[in-house]
Order: sequence, then structure tokens, then C-alpha cells
Amino acid sequence: MARLANLETEYPVLDSTVRNFCASHGIFSVEDFLIHDLYMLAAFAEQNNSSERLKEGIAQVLSIIDDMHQPWLNGMELLEDAKRNKHVFPTGIQGIDLLLGGGIRVGQLTELVGPSSSGKTQVCLRTASNVARNHLVLYLDTGNSFSPQRIAYFLGKTINPSSAQAKNQFLQKVMSNISCHSVFDIFAMFDVLHQLESYLRCQDGRGGCQMRLLIVDSISSLISPVLGSSSTQGLNISYTA
Amino acid sequence: MGSHAKAWLVEDESAREMLDRVLTERPFLLLPPLHRVPLRVGNVVELVGPSSSSKTHILIQAAITCILPKLWKGVSYGGLGHSAMFIDLDCRFDVLRFSELLNHRIMEAANGSSSKVGCHQKDSEAQFERMKPYNEELFALCMKRFLYIRCYDSSEFLATLKTLHYRLQKEREVHGVNVHLLLIDSIGAFHWVDRGSSSFPLECDNRKSWHLQNVSEAVVQEIRRLLLVHPMLVMATKAVVLGNKYSTNELTWNYRKWSAVDNPYSRNITSSDQQLPYREYMPAAWQSFVTHRILVRATDDDLVNGEHQNNSIYLLKWLLPPLNSLDKFTVRDTGVFILS
Repeated sequence: MARLANLETEYPVLDSTVRNFCASHGIFSVEDFLIHDLYMLAAFAEQNNSSERLKEGIAQVLSIIDDMHQPWLNGMELLEDAKRNKHVFPTGIQGIDLLLGGGIRVGQLTELVGPSSSGKTQVCLRTASNVARNHLVLYLDTGNSFSPQRIAYFLGKTINPSSAQAKNQFLQKVMSNISCHSVFDIFAMFDVLHQLESYLRCQDGRGGCQMRLLIVDSISSLISPVLGSSSTQGLNISYTA
Repeated sequence: MGSHAKAWLVEDESAREMLDRVLTERPFLLLPPLHRVPLRVGNVVELVGPSSSSKTHILIQAAITCILPKLWKGVSYGGLGHSAMFIDLDCRFDVLRFSELLNHRIMEAANGSSSKVGCHQKDSEAQFERMKPYNEELFALCMKRFLYIRCYDSSEFLATLKTLHYRLQKEREVHGVNVHLLLIDSIGAFHWVDRGSSSFPLECDNRKSWHLQNVSEAVVQEIRRLLLVHPMLVMATKAVVLGNKYSTNELTWNYRKWSAVDNPYSRNITSSDQQLPYREYMPAAWQSFVTHRILVRATDDDLVNGEHQNNSIYLLKWLLPPLNSLDKFTVRDTGVFILS
């Protein structure tokens, strides 16, 4: 957090008198202003000799603090922003699309929770096959449950019966949009995510297909060994000090 | 001197006049499902419950009641006509759902007034079509009264609270609307982050370090100061984990029975010492600031509402002030519907 001394070049109001006054109350940085009572500070400033100076300084810090938070929006602005920017990807499963109001929302984390064999992986595969028609998908698989045959089956159901070659080409194109990585512990996942971050940064420049969906199947088998649960599935990671 | 002293003795208004004035300026709010205890400005209400127990929905319902006007173009909407501020610390607010609920409320009120006249089905549809541009205008008017901000950490939250006073003054000058409701979604959102932030050894003695107690006290102090100048009703949600022994059996919610069995000295225990079915993690500064506390949770029962609509039933219990009743409600498109 910015120390007040460093802010003097940008805001000349915060000169040494202001800084000494603040230091006498234990305030050295903008962060300290946040947990201090500004009204009490202003009252102390009133009793000081150079009260005008100090009050200007406090007002300046308040305007710096005003830049530190997100802007206030009203309901109409929020709604327009949501309609313009927040897209929805249909999963291809009617019931789930109905429940989610269109599908999975871009920019939000959707969590599928359920006991074993409740269809979570199937939903992931179906969604991946649906989104991969137009965008790139990254599938992180922790339990060897990714099945290309199943994806081909989903895609085969929905395309028109045309020549075998066209069908093949379509399958090739869509399946190459899905990139599947096997990760078995949390550190491997961090590696993949770091690579993904740098990939996404340079993706913005290029046109064409963009990576829009990240699927992790399943996150609990990565996190529970770290939290130290006595789960029988997944690896147990032991640390050496 | 004599005239000044006499001026002190002359009365300003009688008690009845004062009551009239206070009740019109600061009305009691009876928001379903919190209808058992009337809420006023200056109250701090905490909605406690596990994940997915309709806490945010109750906040949204309160916001919609606040931003709807009382009477508009001849139709009574039963709202307050004030602004509502929503500080989103969870960053999970769904504005599309909010606008849906607002639309449903507007249509319900409009349909309700037209059906009172007693027209036929066709007439009411035609009237609905005529009302449509009015509805859009009213919708825009209400949405503009809803102010929203999201905070990604405690410093942003504190920065928001510190600059809120000037923001509200500006709103009052520009739009002439007062803010009546301050909603905070998930006051405990940054609790674990703040708790984990280590305090480095500091040079000066009276320098406050950035840890949980100080942040929490600063938050409470800012809201208190704000309530002095802009009287509002504060509602906050808090996500907790309910203990296992209270998740299945409703009978164990009856605290008096439980505490009498286990603790022979229960007669001396005041309501604040009552055992809560969840673990309280907020610091004492916030806990003592709260004036009303409600516990909500979802049950496993469903209310079958037609072929495809299964609405889950939620249970609500007042912890502060402690009431002995359990309310059941369900959530529909037009809002909360009390079952019992």
C-alpha cells in the first residue's frame, strides 16, 4: 500500500506537516487511513495550528480512497452490462439449460455437486462437446474419465446425415477444439493453469476460435489430499519439512 | 433572557403529533418472510444460514419492496419509493434474476388492480397491453433507484464505506431520493482472508495493524456513523455451517427443552447465552452491532406446484429477538410465499 511519503510528488498537498500529523496518530500509509476514524482525525486537526492544511490533506486522501473501490452502478446499467457482455453457453442438456436459464454463464464458476455415479462426468462431456463446436475447450481430467468415444457419440447424434467424409471432417474439427490434460495433484493443476494464463494473454491478439470453457473433473480429488481428509480415492500427498 | 427561557418551556408538538410524524417519515417495515417482527431504520438485521438457503433472495425481496413506489399512475404497488444500496461482497449477484422478480411484482400489482374492476379476460389482457409502456417506464424508474457495488477485498469494502456519506449526499442533491436500505451480501466473505493476513511487526506503537479485529471494528464504526446521518435499515447475510445434530430433527430446534435437559442452570441463562446451532465466527464488534438475527435453512421437502415446478420449502427461525415459532416459506417468481 502506498506510503504517504511516496504520494507527495503526485499530490503536493500531502506535505511534511500533514505527514507528521498523521504519523503522530500512527498513520503512515493509505491503508492505515482505512482502519482509522477519519472524523476523530478531523477533530484533532481542528485543534492543530495548521488546521486548514491538515483538512485539505485529509480531503485529498479521501479522494484517493474514492478511487480505491469499484464504481457504483445503478440497476439499469447493471442490466445493460449483463445483456451485452455476459454470454451463456448451452450445455446441450435440456433440463439443465432450463434450470440455469439458458446454460452455463461466462465469467462464473458453475459447480456440479453429487454423489458418485450421478452423471457429473457425462454432463461435463456433453457440455464440452456442445461448446467445442464454436470455441476451444480445456478439459482437466483427474480420474481418467475423459472418453473421446462418448464425445464422438454426442456429436454424431446431432449432425445431419450427410456423407461419411463430411461427418468425419466435422468430428475432426470439433474434437481438435477440445484439449484434454490429465492432472493428478494440485501442483500439476497449478502448472496447467499458469500455462493457460499466458496462453489467454496472447489469445486476445489473435482472431479465430478462442478458449472459452475450462472443465475440471473433479476438483475434490485434487483438494482433499491437501486438506488432509481420509479419502480413499486420489493420492495422499506427504510433505517433508 | 426571559423570552429565551420561556421559549424553552413552550411545547413543540404533542406526543400524538410526534408519533404521527415519526410513523410517516420512518415507517415500520413488514417484509415477508420477516413479518413477525416489524423493522425500522437503525435496525441491523443479520440473516444466517447455510449455503443455498434463500438469504440473498430475502435481501432482493426487501430491495424490490423498497424501490417500488407506493402509488404510481393509480396503481398501488405497496413499496416505499426510496433507494436501496447493495454491497456485494460475494460477487454473485444475478441482475437478470433481479429484473425478472421486479417485473413479476410490477405485473402482479398491475393485474391485481385491474382484476378488482371486474373485467373479463379479454379486457384485462388489453389493459395489460396498454399498461406495458407504463410498466417499462416504471421498471426503468425502479432500477435506477437500485445502487450496486462489488468489493473484492476488505480494503475495497472499507473504502466504499468511508466514501459512502459523500455519495449519498450527492444522490440526495441530484435525484432527491433518500436511501432507506443498505444490503450487504455476506458480511463474512473476507473473514478467513483477514484472519489469515499476518500482522508484521510495526515501527510505531500506536499504528494499527491490518488484522481481523481492527478491520471489523472499522467496518462497524463506519456503518454506525453512516446511520447517524442517513438513517437506514441494514440487512446483512452470513453463511454458516449448521451442526450435524441439528440438520435432521426439527424438534431439536426447541431450545428450551434441549437446554433444560442438558443444563440444570438454564433458568439463569439469558437469551444471549443460548446455544446456537452453528458456530459464530464473526468478531464481537459485529456481533454486538447486530440487533436482529434470523436463521434460515432449506429443508428436503418440496412443494409440488403443478407438473414441472417443485419449489423447495425453507424454514425460518428468529434468534434475536428469540421467538418460539418456525415459519415455512417457499420462493416463487413473485417473491416469497409464506406457507405457515
